[in-house]
Amino acid sequence: MTKEVIIRFDHVTKRYDNDAVVLDHVSFEIERGKFYTLLGPSGCGKTTILRLIAGFTEASEGDIYFNGKRMNNVPANKRQVNTVFQDYALFPHLNVYENVAFGLRIKKVKNSEIDRRVKEALRFVNLSGYEKREITEMSGGQRQRVAIARAIVNEPEVILLDEPLSALDLKLRTEMQYELRDLQKRLGITFIFVTHDQEEALAMSDEIFVLNQGKIQQSGTPTDIYDEPINRFVADFIGESNIVPGKMIRDFEVEFAGKVFECVDQGLNQNESVDIVIRPEDLEITSWNEGKIQVKVDSQLFRGVHYEMICYDEAQNEWLVHSTKKATVGEKIGLNFEPEAIHVMRLGETEEEFDKRLESYQEAGYEQ
Amino acid sequence: MKKKSVWPRVYLAFIFIVLYAPIFYLMFYSFNSGGTMNNFEGFTLEWYKELFGDKRLLIIVLNTIIIALLSSAISTIIGVLGALAIVYMRKKTAKQALLSFNNVLIVSPDVIIGASFLILFTMAGIKLGFTSVLLSHIAFSIPIVVIMVLPKLQEMSSSLIDAARDLGAGHWDVLSKVVLPYISPGVFAGFFMALTYSLDDFAVTFFVTGNGFSTLSVEIYSLARRGISLNINALSTLLFLFTIILVAGYYFIMQRNSRSAGAGVQK
Repeated sequence: MTKEVIIRFDHVTKRYDNDAVVLDHVSFEIERGKFYTLLGPSGCGKTTILRLIAGFTEASEGDIYFNGKRMNNVPANKRQVNTVFQDYALFPHLNVYENVAFGLRIKKVKNSEIDRRVKEALRFVNLSGYEKREITEMSGGQRQRVAIARAIVNEPEVILLDEPLSALDLKLRTEMQYELRDLQKRLGITFIFVTHDQEEALAMSDEIFVLNQGKIQQSGTPTDIYDEPINRFVADFIGESNIVPGKMIRDFEVEFAGKVFECVDQGLNQNESVDIVIRPEDLEITSWNEGKIQVKVDSQLFRGVHYEMICYDEAQNEWLVHSTKKATVGEKIGLNFEPEAIHVMRLGETEEEFDKRLESYQEAGYEQ
Repeated sequence: MKKKSVWPRVYLAFIFIVLYAPIFYLMFYSFNSGGTMNNFEGFTLEWYKELFGDKRLLIIVLNTIIIALLSSAISTIIGVLGALAIVYMRKKTAKQALLSFNNVLIVSPDVIIGASFLILFTMAGIKLGFTSVLLSHIAFSIPIVVIMVLPKLQEMSSSLIDAARDLGAGHWDVLSKVVLPYISPGVFAGFFMALTYSLDDFAVTFFVTGNGFSTLSVEIYSLARRGISLNINALSTLLFLFTIILVAGYYFIMQRNSRSAGAGVQK
């Protein structure tokens, strides 16, 4: 498949009337036909990016390109993108059919054509037979589908989704995650999805942009971001993690919690201070003597799939452990983990430097 | 549950009797063949006959209705535009100032408005009559329309407008296909309020009306001053019934709207 860039942000900055900067020199590229997720805490600028693409707001600095053309000054109604809003923004005075047909009627499409396309869009979202219903007669999940149908009926090149699942209950949300992913694959349209829910992002995306304080912290596939978080923020935001300070003794050897461990990272300076990340599910409970780290169980919660324990080692580092095995509060246990489970993060490393370092591993790997 | 005391109901009944008794008293004597409001001699429709025979009075009724419909229609258009301007105003201070100016006009006494219009029209050289009455009615109706339309506009989620623009709608389409349908209940309410205010306005009209032009409320006032004729009673009765029909009609429309919107939820 050819990689075709459809949207490009070039050092885009957005600030509101002398207030703090919402987006700070953000640059990225969106390729055609992929499912992207903008992930970050509230106020990180993810919705602002969406509004910039849709044209509801203008960039203070920088350029936004669409199919290679600069589109900073193109008004929202002239852009080839459609949005699914957080509150769905369905028109209450129109029924389902007319809501979906709205965009086509504006474009003065022929009635027969409108009829065909609206029915097809409704079939796509499993709402055939609901044409005559009023919006007030629809449940939250159904309104969601109407909003999606209203977007896809215009056959846009990009669909923007602004936290569309946040108002649904857990079961429906999971269901819609599958459906959205499926829909994107069937249509082959680029989806840009905004959420603060990391599970949602991991489950649905081809590529995730993790944002914080107006900057893209890291971008990559869900597994990349989960397995190799670039910094403390990403590690903390994506999934749960244990982050402890450590020191890189030399290649393949790292010191933390007062001990030296074997690891898979290389290419760092000797004795460089680093952050160590170990995912709670990578920690295995064993006996005091057999463990690589010795900890005392401080508290334990039953989470259904697993037990969640908070333990402290002798240096008073906190260790979060997910285990199907049960422990007793106050018990002294050992924790075991593989060398691959240790993720070393350089302090203050940018994404470019990080990518370069990862590439050098692979090259080194080929040479071996 | 504790049984409610009977006194609140008695009190309420008393209040309504005090409010409605004079009206019903007046209506009752409009059927009196005696010619005075002192003793009821017998039933007659003579006063109504006389009323409908009075050409001058019929023209005045027509004037009143034309003024009411015209002024409320024009003020609705201007008021809706004004409300839109206030809502989408960027500057907070200017917005507040405009709203305050609007509200001051609603609470300021009719006499003051009437007197100031009289001064304005004489200074501007506008002949007192149809035009001056119409202009002043439009003027005092606009703030009412603005006040009725504003809440609907404020309640409308801004994402609706974003959605319309997103789907390709230009400014005119956004206004005519999304905003106006959404605020239409407020627009109708504003129109009817303006209509009733214009129909029963006395103070302002009294100031700005000239020779040869009169509206009902002004006419009734002068009739009542001239001397007692049961014509007035008959006219007032008809006006009262007309108002009741208007109010009932308004409620009927509102009821039907809310039912069609709410019915689906039960399905």
